[in-house]
Amino acid sequence: MTGGAVTGRAARLLATAIGIAAASGASRPTGARAAAGKPALAIVGATVLTAGPQGTVAGGTIVIRDGKVAALGKGVAVPPGAVVINAAGRTVMPGIIDCHSHTAVESGINEGSDSVTAEVRIADVIDHRDVDIYRQLAGGVTTINVLHGSANVIGGQNAVIKLRWGSSPRDLVFQGAPRGIKMALGENPKRANARATGAPRYPGTRMGVEATLRGAFQEAQQYRREWQDYEKKLAAAGGGGKDKPVAPRRDLRLETLRDVLDGKVLVHAHAYRADEILMLIQVAEEVGFKVRTFQHVLEGYKVASEIARHGAGASTFSDWWAYKIEAQDAIPYNAAVMAARGVLVSLNSDSDELARRLYWEAAKVIRYGGVSEADALKMITLNPARQLGIDKRVGSLEVGKDADLVIFNAHPFSPDARVETTLIDGIVYFDRAADLAKRMPAGAPVATGGMR
Amino acid sequence: MQREEIDMSTPLDPEGSTRQTDARWRRERKPGLAATVAMCTAAATIAGGIVFEPVPARAAKADVFALVGGRVVTVSGNTIESGVIILRDGVIEAIGAKVTVPVDARVIDAKGLTLTPGLIDAFGGLGLPAPRRAGSATAAGGVGDTNPTGVPATPAPPTSPLSPHAMALDKIRIAEALKARDVGVTTALVVGRDGVLPGKSVLINLAGKKPEDMVLRQPAAQHLHLTTISRQYPSSLMGTVAYARQSLYSAIRYRDEWAAYERAPAGKKRPRFDPALAAWQDVLSGKEMLIVTATRENDIRRALALADELKIRVAVAGAARAFRVADLVKARKLPLLVSVSFDPPRAVTSAAGRDEEKEKREIEEAEKNPAALDKAGVVFALGSGFAPSFMAGIRKAIDAGLPRGAALRALTLEAARALGVSDRTGSLEVGKLANVVAWAGDPLEKKSKVKMVFVDGQLYEPPDRPDRLDGDDKDDEEKPAPTEDDVDVYDDADRGGRP
Repeated sequence: MTGGAVTGRAARLLATAIGIAAASGASRPTGARAAAGKPALAIVGATVLTAGPQGTVAGGTIVIRDGKVAALGKGVAVPPGAVVINAAGRTVMPGIIDCHSHTAVESGINEGSDSVTAEVRIADVIDHRDVDIYRQLAGGVTTINVLHGSANVIGGQNAVIKLRWGSSPRDLVFQGAPRGIKMALGENPKRANARATGAPRYPGTRMGVEATLRGAFQEAQQYRREWQDYEKKLAAAGGGGKDKPVAPRRDLRLETLRDVLDGKVLVHAHAYRADEILMLIQVAEEVGFKVRTFQHVLEGYKVASEIARHGAGASTFSDWWAYKIEAQDAIPYNAAVMAARGVLVSLNSDSDELARRLYWEAAKVIRYGGVSEADALKMITLNPARQLGIDKRVGSLEVGKDADLVIFNAHPFSPDARVETTLIDGIVYFDRAADLAKRMPAGAPVATGGMR
Repeated sequence: MQREEIDMSTPLDPEGSTRQTDARWRRERKPGLAATVAMCTAAATIAGGIVFEPVPARAAKADVFALVGGRVVTVSGNTIESGVIILRDGVIEAIGAKVTVPVDARVIDAKGLTLTPGLIDAFGGLGLPAPRRAGSATAAGGVGDTNPTGVPATPAPPTSPLSPHAMALDKIRIAEALKARDVGVTTALVVGRDGVLPGKSVLINLAGKKPEDMVLRQPAAQHLHLTTISRQYPSSLMGTVAYARQSLYSAIRYRDEWAAYERAPAGKKRPRFDPALAAWQDVLSGKEMLIVTATRENDIRRALALADELKIRVAVAGAARAFRVADLVKARKLPLLVSVSFDPPRAVTSAAGRDEEKEKREIEEAEKNPAALDKAGVVFALGSGFAPSFMAGIRKAIDAGLPRGAALRALTLEAARALGVSDRTGSLEVGKLANVVAWAGDPLEKKSKVKMVFVDGQLYEPPDRPDRLDGDDKDDEEKPAPTEDDVDVYDDADRGGRP
């Protein structure tokens, strides 16, 4: 057991919360549990890595009310009646945000039958019972960007979800997060590594990928004009009568691409090579959209200035590469170089497993690239929040933001780091002590030493 | 009182039916059989005081029956321990403990029998051709197409997996469909099995010589199977949801385009006829239900989301995990057509292969689903769900805890309600269709036998073959092929070590 961190009353509260929220795959989805009206929660005595303007607060107190951070700082008064978590000796950081995930998806992450499938939505196929949600909570992750796969040049729409384990699919969704879409360049969309049989799918080359992009957005521009014409005619007809024009067919594929052109949908583009990164920037600027993030972007260090100039972010790995030809020319300094050139950088997992230890991925960037501790922390918190357009709500510990936070036994970049408690909206969704207690058969001898 | 002489040597023809039935009819008249059929004029039986010679019924009309003395389980109302049901012209004319038997009725002594409404298979492929086997996707019904028994199966005609305008009625093989009467089924919703949009189902009554004779409602409903198509759009679940959504939006535009043209055709280009989009119109208008086949828990949420977004009526079929969302189903009053096909063929959906432990768990869970729904107070219908044996599936559900009474309700009145025909069938009530089953023993009890089945007031007597009733008849073994016959080649891109 972790021992002594949690006061008696708080332990009971946690146990109750976990009994509902974080039990197992058998737990019933009960919807987002409103924290409203509940007593305030105070986490006291911790070293707080805020990733915000307050920087690191030693011996800080965090007061949580109605799911939000109500007060934060050294010497902040604990409100009367608050449930207190004694976190002395612990480190608290904002909930980790994974900008590239395929967790919690049912029956396929790729609608790979066509090279443009902007109409499909990850939100339609969320699997709220995926146990990886819980496992990632145990790794301090609280928000993930669930993306369509990379089989298509333009894949489906993403879903940004909070890992409110035990909630229904709808209640997992991060309400208010901007829409996003997956694009993919290079080997995957040209099916270079696919075992597909039968007729090959266009495109089969990088040239074809570029042409597919242009073609799709030309269609979207045409679609936009069609609707604009209709609206003009409708206004001219005075809204009724025999001459009332018939609205064009809603084409959910082109409508989504039109929304990309209108800046309403964030583009997350899977890319490896420098040349294709430049290609997408060129096409985007030509047809009129912005790339929000390049994903993987292992050769980003070669074109970091160009990425920064376009205004795109980069979401990369710390040191995962060489799994295919286009992923060969990678260096562990990638994140650091891009950040130094002014690119907004995040570190992602793209893996149910890696997602559970993203705090160590951040630590590697310090080791390799000499990134500051504060900046490394932001690469798994505030930066991905900004990339997803949710930084007003999450990504740092600041008064008024969502109380999504993680209590570690040690500094998260330490090799000894282990998540003790994970909260989302001020509700405990993972607690290591409670989890271990549930796994132990009654009366089983429990080792008391060496668990720290 | 009419008294007519008849020639006793003339074979009695109870339902104008086949020679085979005649032979059985004669056999059943032997003493000692449970369902002894008393042939006499009605007057002889009940006209108190005046005793007539029992005269064999020439007077009795072929389509008027009096079932006398049976235990009548009406399902909608009270059970009558010894009652009379009068069937005339295909409908129930009278029912009760004391009913005057009309003179022209053929009286059937139902003492010792239990009479229930005919069973309704609320969701299945009754009478449809055998599915294509795996691997024959390119050569539809090609040479070497066999079912698992090794007998060459009649090839199914190739149909697009996206055929909202296809009609199940066009594919029904009547002789196959009529076999279901042996276990007491009188009515069935017949649904195309294959593809994502299999087209429209038909609700049939199992009587008649041609599929057209059988129709209770045609088309009955539009269908969406939340499955995928190999190597073709939609190849993923999210693609299937998107395809359905787009179909409905396209249908809206189609409706508006035609409406504008019909309003003022002069000077306008004639819109193009599109059978697929025309097929959605009754769903859009609310006249027709969209029945969504849901195998996953969240498929039920998906169906409801589609209904909310497009303001259409939905029901959910299959629904093996419905017990997990029992509260949602209740709150939304969602019609459920729960399948008793608990071990459907599975597609290999990942390169890692199958997780047999998980599959076993899921089968057990599915078997308990009807019982769990009943316990949670959810009303539902039962359907064969393309299972090889409907009755074996029903028995499994009962063995897993579904009370027999609840099963009977699900197979009669609740099925009729879910399908929107409870005003004409689903219970034993005056005015409803003369669909009646006479059971020796308690209905749905393992050892019970179906002795007589009335469909539209026409009598059918199942052959006395206990193996059929147990649902072990190998003739019906038609395990359909997986819908995806290979690993989804797209699914491992961008995960599993190769981003």
